[in-house]
Parts: sequence; structure tokens; C-alpha cells
Amino acid sequence: MTRALLRLAATLTAVGAITAAPNAARAQTDDVILVRGATIHTASGAPIRNGSVLIRAGKIAAVGPNVAAPSNARIIDGTGKVVTPGMIDNHSHIGARPTDLNDTPMLIGPQHRFIDALDWNDPDFQDAVEGGVTTIVTGPGSGENVSGMAAVLKTFGTDYTRRMLLEKGGMKFAMGPKGARTRYPSTSMGVAANLRQYLIKTQEYLAAQKKWEDDGKKGNPPARDLGYEAMSDVLTRKTYVRAHVHNATDVMTLTRLKDEFGFDLTIHHSTDAYKVAPELAKRGISAVVLPLGPRIGIGEDAMAGPYQLWKAGVKVAMHTDAPVINQKWLRLCAALAMRYGIPEEEALKMVTLNAAEIARVSDRVGSIAVGKDADLVIFNGPWYEPKSRIDLVIGDGRVVYDRTNVKEAK
Amino acid sequence: MNTPRAYLAAVVAAVIWSGPLSAQERAIAIRGGTVLPISGPAIPNGTVVMRGGKIVAVGANVQIPAGAEIVEAAGKYVMPGVIDAASHIGMEPTDLNEPTDPMTPQNRAFESYNPFGTFGSGQPAPLRNKEALSGGVTTMYISPADAQLLGGQGAVIKTAGATLDAVLLREPAAIDITLGTPPKTAARAQNRDPFTRMAESAMLRQILVRAQEYQRNKANTPTTPRDLGMEALGRLLRREIPARIQANNATDIRAALRLAQEFTFDLIIDGAAGAWEFKDELAARKIPVVLGQVSHQYVSNEEIPDKQDYPKQDERLAGRLTQAGIPTAMATFSRAFGTLAPAGTGKWLLIDAGIAAGYGMTDDQVLRAVTQVPAQILGVADRVGSLEVGKDADVIILDGPPLSVKTWVQRVYVNGELVHTK
Repeated sequence: MTRALLRLAATLTAVGAITAAPNAARAQTDDVILVRGATIHTASGAPIRNGSVLIRAGKIAAVGPNVAAPSNARIIDGTGKVVTPGMIDNHSHIGARPTDLNDTPMLIGPQHRFIDALDWNDPDFQDAVEGGVTTIVTGPGSGENVSGMAAVLKTFGTDYTRRMLLEKGGMKFAMGPKGARTRYPSTSMGVAANLRQYLIKTQEYLAAQKKWEDDGKKGNPPARDLGYEAMSDVLTRKTYVRAHVHNATDVMTLTRLKDEFGFDLTIHHSTDAYKVAPELAKRGISAVVLPLGPRIGIGEDAMAGPYQLWKAGVKVAMHTDAPVINQKWLRLCAALAMRYGIPEEEALKMVTLNAAEIARVSDRVGSIAVGKDADLVIFNGPWYEPKSRIDLVIGDGRVVYDRTNVKEAK
Repeated sequence: MNTPRAYLAAVVAAVIWSGPLSAQERAIAIRGGTVLPISGPAIPNGTVVMRGGKIVAVGANVQIPAGAEIVEAAGKYVMPGVIDAASHIGMEPTDLNEPTDPMTPQNRAFESYNPFGTFGSGQPAPLRNKEALSGGVTTMYISPADAQLLGGQGAVIKTAGATLDAVLLREPAAIDITLGTPPKTAARAQNRDPFTRMAESAMLRQILVRAQEYQRNKANTPTTPRDLGMEALGRLLRREIPARIQANNATDIRAALRLAQEFTFDLIIDGAAGAWEFKDELAARKIPVVLGQVSHQYVSNEEIPDKQDYPKQDERLAGRLTQAGIPTAMATFSRAFGTLAPAGTGKWLLIDAGIAAGYGMTDDQVLRAVTQVPAQILGVADRVGSLEVGKDADVIILDGPPLSVKTWVQRVYVNGELVHTK
């Protein structure tokens, strides 16, 4: 959006505010907020110095260098502050008990839905909010080769319907033999073969369904199988694969499966993915990366992996794997990527817009753009510096964290 | 070598041996940088001179010895090597704990130390712990892990040196003990003691009573057969070395405080996530604490630590305890090579500690908590932890302010030797 357009949008919203002003009830609420005078990192363009963001009814109504203040707006002075979009952790496991993450004996359990184990009031959500993380993908663990459907949620609020952004938030795959080698498959070959077999059975399941429909739905429909049904959503690309994978061999197995079955693929943790970065770029496969791990001693080459992926043209998001890394420190996960050579605005995208696009919720969140949800974080210094503090978090247009309200002993 | 003839032979030998002079012989002068001596205020445009493995001069107007190697540090920061007061980095995961025995005071952690890790076993000397050195860590405390109640003896080591013996700074440095869930989890998996916190305290009490009796018997009857574990605990009871007790919640901290009082040993509390509740007692008894990472206060080697062991994450803790006068070090508790890494290793320590600077600590206090304070807690402050004349020449050069995420450690000197460059 050009500046002229932004100004027009701002003017229009200001006019709207004036016409709405007689509505006393509205003026009483926090419905209209103007953050002004801050450095605004929108995640979709150059930073705006001394810029403003206007929020109305939970949405971004205007953003730019010159936004007029509607008369009923609550003004937040952003002088010396840094504003970013509410951050998005593309991969975590909070909201469920550790014992509810993996149905290990199941091995392939696409019928599992994380929402069935979700505790919306898990205290871990509060850590997320305090860390400026307003949207997360949270899902089943990696104890099975297919462990079920992740969910995309807002981290704040008590209206669970509003907090749910995407119930079919991606199908979790996990590559590599896991746990004790006491049963099939315990090798990378075995995992690949087993997944391939299941995907073929899903194709057959879909074909049987189609045949019954093509035959005029005569007689009883084919027996439903919730596993194949859920996996059908992957093959028909209603959802996508979120694959836990560390080594490059397993990454290539996934690319082969994708080529063979035509599903949408994202890879997660992605420790050694930089070694095959061009293969990912060629296929448009995004990489979600866990910094500092997974194992002690991975070395500087792997630490610089996000930079190599980004340089090769792969869309990258950084994630915490919370509770592995406390979600509060998502911003430092992006800062670590930046440390290895990624420019500041690109690093910020890795925990905002890129994370939203990979999670398929970028129409709602991920950048400060007119019409998107008003999820904002206000910092007292650069967002990437360890000692910067978050002063305010705004979620859906309301203040959901205010540092001045938190009692802190000196 | 007190005859002229021997002297002559030495000179001839030195001339014939044409290898380069080592850092220990030739002076090195780092000049023009912002020097952070830690023991005093920052020195803009300062100089640090090292010779013979020691610091020989620090200041703004320092005469650089003739023939010294000059290292230009304009625009850079110069500070003492960072000290990680708790780490397992450089130990193999299978070498951290005895799985069948809850108490092995005879075990010495440094004998499991292999800084090349699973990724470079068999490499020749010298020993270089790259994972630590890349974060500017030059000294660290290593210990058995927490799957045992009493894992053994910890050591303070340098992260670079010619041989294993050469890296030892203090050994044994402490008796390493863990309270709470980790020893219980390991024991329950094998259907042996301790199953409960009661058993943990009782077993520790019993072994310490046995150690008291051993010292008495040994004094009365010198022919009493030697017992290496009892000898180690004797050092604790004679207060030659302290106990490092990992204790996070209030129950475990209280148990640690009681044991230390009952057996009058010196105590350092590791993890200490719930220490604020005990601030008055800790301050009065001058009991130091070694905290885990600010961003990740779980210090356990368990993959998913028991949440009941930990109060809610509190980034203010280091600042509050420091303000209360309790010696407080910030450490990584980083795990062994190849194990899951939910938090960072030594290369992350400065960045992580920097978080505390947003939570009530000054930058100076944060830097002290990863240099001078841990040196004092580890009993090696006469050697390391600040840039002062006479101390070991453990010096790092950074390309920006030490607590910024953008900053890199560019050079690391240990005992005056350049052991890491970026």
C-alpha cells in the first residue's frame, strides 16, 4: 500500500470515527486505539519511523506515518518504542499434558486431533502472551510417524470460538525411528515404506468413495475410517503435512513422497535441511527451524542453517517447540537467526508473516496491515535484543498484557 | 641449571629449536578497545598486556613491552573469559551418571570429560571445547548429572589446554548432590531407592553419618582400609570443599539448608528456582546460588522436567537475589554432547544472561554474574574472573557490547594462548 493510499485509509477511518462519535457506549470501550510515534515493523515492508497504528473493533484500521487520531481513540504514546505484529510460533506443543502428546503404539494416527487434548487455560499460554506471542500452532508430538492434526490458536482470551483460527491446522508427520527398536519400523527405510503404504491405502479409500458417488450412491456407502478420512484431507490438499525431520536423508524421503502423492509439505526442526536447501526451494517447501538444537553440539554450520535456507529462497519460520524452549523467547529464536546473517526485517518475518503463511492464517494475522487482526507488541527497545522488554501486548484490539500492571519487586 | 655450561647448552638448544615462541613467552598487548575489567569501571581505549600466561598490565596508559605482539581492538570490547558455573558440555551422555547406584562420592567428573564429544572422539591434543569457547567461556564447573542423589565430585576446568591435567583448575571442587524428582525418577525406573524425598534426605544423612564415623575410625586406627568415597566426603565435612546441591522448589531448598546445618558443610544451591522465599536465610548464611539460564530455568538433565520441581519461570530472580546480597551466578547447566538441547550451551550464556539486564540488573551486574561471582563461588577467584595483574590471561575480545545478540566473540585467549578465533 502506498503512502497516499494509507493516508486515504486513515482519513476515511477518521471520518468514520467522527460519525460514530455520538455513540457514547462505543466511546467508553477500548474499541478504538491509536498507537503513535513509534517505530513500526509491519513485517510486510520497510519500518515506519514515527509511525502510527489505528485499531478499530479488533482490526487494524490504518497504519502509516500520518494517521489522524479519532476523537474517541485511546492514545498510546509510542515515542521511543518499537512495534511489531503479534508474534506467531509455528510449532509448539503447549496446552496439553506431556502424556497426551503421543499415542506411541498407534504409529500412524491421523485421526487424532490436538483439540481433543487441549486445555485452553494451560498457564503456558500466559508465558506466550507475556512474550508477545499471540498466535501459535500447537499440536501432537513426534512419537508416532503420523500423530494427528495440529490446531492454530490465539493465545489470549476466554472466548474459545474466537481463539480457534484453524482446527485443521496441519497433519503432523515425524520421520526417523523413534524410541526403542522393538517393533517395525525401526529404520528410515521402514518409516518411508510404512508411510507410503498408508498414503496408497488413503488413495484407495478416496477412490472407493468416488466410485460409490460415481455409481449414483447406490447401496451403503463404503465404511468410514477416520484415519484414512483425515489423511484424505492431506491428499486433497485441504490441509498440509507438518513433518518433524532432522537429517537430510529423511528430508529427501519427504520430498519424494510429496512428488509421488502431491501433498503440500512443510518441514519442521529442519536441523540438516540446509544441506538440501535447493531441493526445498525448487518445490516451494517451507522450513520451520528450531534454533539451538535439537542436540547439543550440532555445530555452527547447523546454527547457520536458517541463513542458508533463506539465501536459497526457502520460506523460513523459527519456532520454540514450547515447552522445549519457553514460548516467551520466540523473539530470541528469530534473533539467533539474525545473528547468523539474516537481515532484521527478514528475521522478524520468521516469527510473524512467514509463520502465518506457513500456518495458512496470513489473511488474519502475521503483519500490521489494514483489515488484519489487531495483534501488536510494543517493545521498549529493539525487538531482538535480550534486554529489551515488552511493555504492551494488544490482542484482537484489546490490551492483553500491560507490564505496568504487573507487580514486580524492584 | 646453575652452571655456565648448562646455561650455554640451554641457549644453544633454544637457538637450534627454531619453532615460534609460544604465547607464554612473548608478550601480547590488546590495545585500543573498551576494556571491561569487571573488578573496576570500564576503560575506554584501554590496553591489556599478557605474558607468561598471566595478565601483566591493564589500564588506559600502559607501556607496551618491546617486541610484544600487538592486537588492535579499536571499536571492540575486551573482558575476562566467561565462567559457566555449571555445565556438562564435553561429557558423553553415557558418562554422566551411574545408573545402578544412587550415591557414588568416589566418582570424579573430570574423568568423564571428553571435550571433542561424540563428534570428534579420538582427535589429538590439545583439548579445545569449541562449544564453550565460541561463547567466550574459558572456565567452567563440570559435574556428574542429576540422575543420582550423590553423583560424585565436580571439577573446575579451563576450556582449553594441552592435556586433561593441564585444564584442571580445582579438583575436586565440590561434592555434587541432587534433590527432588530426577534421582527419584531414575530410581523408580529400577525399583530401587530413593522413591521419595524422605528417602533422599535419609540416604544422604546416612552416608554423611558414615563419613563422620569413617573419619573418626581412620584417625583412631590408621590401618582402617581406605574408602575413596568416604575420603571425598571427609573433604566436605572438613569444609575443604563445598556441596553443590541441585534444589529448585521450596521443599528441596529447605532440605539442602537443613543438611548443611546438621553436618556443617559449605553449601552452594544449584538451580535454586525457588530461592526467593529463602532470601533472608541465604543472605544471613552467605549461601551462594547458581541459577540456570534466564530463558530456561529448568536445570535438569531430564527431557521433560517435573513441573512441580519448578516455580513459574521468573526472569527477575537473578536481579532480586543479587540485590539481596546473595552471591548469584548465572550458568547454563548445559547438557552433555548429543543430548536434547532445549536450551543453549556456553555459546549462548552471554546472550541469555543479557535478558536479566531487562529485569532489574545493570549490565555490570549481569557481567559480574558470569565472571567474578562464579569465580568466587567456585573458589578460583585468585586465578580467573576479572582482568587484574597477576591473574590468568583468560581474555576475550568481542566485536560489540557483550550482552547484545548481534555481538560475536572474536578471539579467546586462555593462559595467554589464542585458542579460538571467529
